[in-house]
Amino acid sequence: MPAFPATSGTSNGDHPDQEILALHRAGQLISQYPRVGHLVADLPGPELFKAGQLLARLAPDEILRQHPTVPAVTVAITGHGTLSALVPVLTAELARHGMLLRPHVADFDSYVFDLSDPGSALYAAEADLVLCVLDPMMVFDEVPVPWRPTDVERVLGEKLNLIGQLAARFEAASRGTLVLNTIPLLHRHTAQLVDHQSRARLGAVWREANARLLGVADQHAGAVVIDLDPILAEGVRASDPRMSIYAKAHLSQDLLAGYAREVGNLARHLAGRTKKCLALDLDDTVWGGVLGEVGMEGIEVAESYRGEAFRAFQRVVKQIGSQGVLLAAVSKNDVEPVRKALTDQPSMTLHENDFVQVIANWRPKHENLAELAEDLNVGIDSFVFADDSPYEGGLVRRQLPDVTVIQLDNEPALHVSKLLRDGWFDVRELTATDRTRASKYRDELVRQDFLHTFDSLDDYLHELNIRVRLAVAGEQDIPRVSQLTLRTNQFNLTTRRLQQADVRALADDPAWWVLAIHASDRFGENGLVGVVLARRDGGAVHLDNFVLSCRVFSRGIEHACLASVLRHARDTGADAVFGSYRPTAKNSAVKHFYPRYGFVPVADDDTTTTTFRHDLVDIIASPEYVHLTESFQRSPS
Amino acid sequence: MNSMDDFLGLIRDGLGLSVTADDADRALNEISGWDSVYLLWLLTAIEKETGHTISLPELLEASSLKELYVAAAGT
Repeated sequence: MPAFPATSGTSNGDHPDQEILALHRAGQLISQYPRVGHLVADLPGPELFKAGQLLARLAPDEILRQHPTVPAVTVAITGHGTLSALVPVLTAELARHGMLLRPHVADFDSYVFDLSDPGSALYAAEADLVLCVLDPMMVFDEVPVPWRPTDVERVLGEKLNLIGQLAARFEAASRGTLVLNTIPLLHRHTAQLVDHQSRARLGAVWREANARLLGVADQHAGAVVIDLDPILAEGVRASDPRMSIYAKAHLSQDLLAGYAREVGNLARHLAGRTKKCLALDLDDTVWGGVLGEVGMEGIEVAESYRGEAFRAFQRVVKQIGSQGVLLAAVSKNDVEPVRKALTDQPSMTLHENDFVQVIANWRPKHENLAELAEDLNVGIDSFVFADDSPYEGGLVRRQLPDVTVIQLDNEPALHVSKLLRDGWFDVRELTATDRTRASKYRDELVRQDFLHTFDSLDDYLHELNIRVRLAVAGEQDIPRVSQLTLRTNQFNLTTRRLQQADVRALADDPAWWVLAIHASDRFGENGLVGVVLARRDGGAVHLDNFVLSCRVFSRGIEHACLASVLRHARDTGADAVFGSYRPTAKNSAVKHFYPRYGFVPVADDDTTTTTFRHDLVDIIASPEYVHLTESFQRSPS
Repeated sequence: MNSMDDFLGLIRDGLGLSVTADDADRALNEISGWDSVYLLWLLTAIEKETGHTISLPELLEASSLKELYVAAAGT
């Protein structure tokens, strides 16, 4: 980590590990928990582990009592060996993302029982994530002595079949996510075979087994498999013989730390806190040199030592941008030369069109970032910002502590590993929307320019030619519906996060409607932008949630869809529709959504959720500028 | 780590357990919050600090903080 700039840090800011220790000694870690995330965010391995030990001592319930909005993630840990050492690192990793770990550590070597019995304590923990940590000793504990590669192959085959069955059982019994991992092959096992031919054979059967393991995620929607090989390839020791023999801790502390980082990123995604936008400085970040000084011909973007480093970085940025991450440039430059460089420089890999917005001016970057978040209608905490200047990075960190800052330096060959070191943009899987997201957001910025040419919003909305299709979600819609519930924070009435299995279960339930909202306008298709989840209970219809992408709200789509649902409820004999609002830090904009359309609050004992009721007597008309088609018919399955 | 006090400080700041000199002779399972897995962390932390190799079986067999200290310090 490069040093934090002295100009923008406090004395404690230079030593966040010391500040954590001071808070611990003063007994203030719980009362200051929201600050802890920022303090541990960039700690290197050993200090992060130490902070994790202190944080793991705190009572999660007490933290939640003092800070009820901190997202808590329940993680159950099971596996073959001693795994309690995972708790501190995982506590620290979740704290880095502003989240709180509620751990459930299963008994030693109890994974088969834990996962096969739906009545086990592990299932009772109702974990969001269940980590089943696999290690090489689960195989070598069972091979005879002497052994041959065929013995290992046999045991691996048995374990793989068992794991497949456990994953199937888990999928049927739990709504959580099961996390498996590939199993490292250790030198102290391969070296026991003295001939190269057998060693090669062992390597082959081992890797075939790991390939099968990685395939478990394709067969079971509830499973994720973390590949440990890339972590090991960074030079992490897989196992410590003393820990393995004496304490049955078969994977090293460092490997578990790398594993915990991956789990932390997965947990952040599942909690709906995925980073959505990568904002990049340009001079000496995207290209070498200062554009204003050396001109378009002088910047390094290819075919020189440093040029190749910047080309490699640009290729990775483009790759990230192709997968639904919005790219933005935020540079202290004049805008015209920047535009020209990004469109006319022939060796440049990135093009202006790869960015959702190119901001080049002389204002402080934190102001530009805050405005960009507003224009894109996404939270500032969904931004990752990368800059080679410690001054700029430090200033953004200080002014916008919720922005993740990747501090680059003057070695461009390391830009890529710094960008990718943390899986900031990790998701379970991509949807079709991800591949076109950048262009949709760019269209949105054009729409806003179009809006500015009208005298009134109504004139604009009439000209926009908005078309909305409200229809029962089909199988093809399920990944995107799940993703909307996971990614959307603002227009999300109850913020109930749904995995694909949850959506499918609701879609299959005859009492429920999962209604997908598709929209388009004169600028093109918006795609699947919203979802209404409704449950029929006798004469009442309960709106469990209403979610709309931040790209499209406040243009009548939510109004038209709600009116349609109310009409349908009335026409099918319902006498009331209930809607709920559960406040979060992000969704205050929809606090008055239901009352605005004729719902009245119902007295409620639950202090966190407000319930509203519509008596279906007087249903508001749809806005005339929205062309709505609706279909409440389930397709035959 | 030159004294029992240093050792207790390491446990307080490293593991977050509020131990004092009074706890030195107490059985480990009587110390509030103690978990045998901490021995693994202690081994790594002390080896890193002192550069000496410690015997994990000796740590595992220790029954009080004082015995742990003796095993860890090699005295």
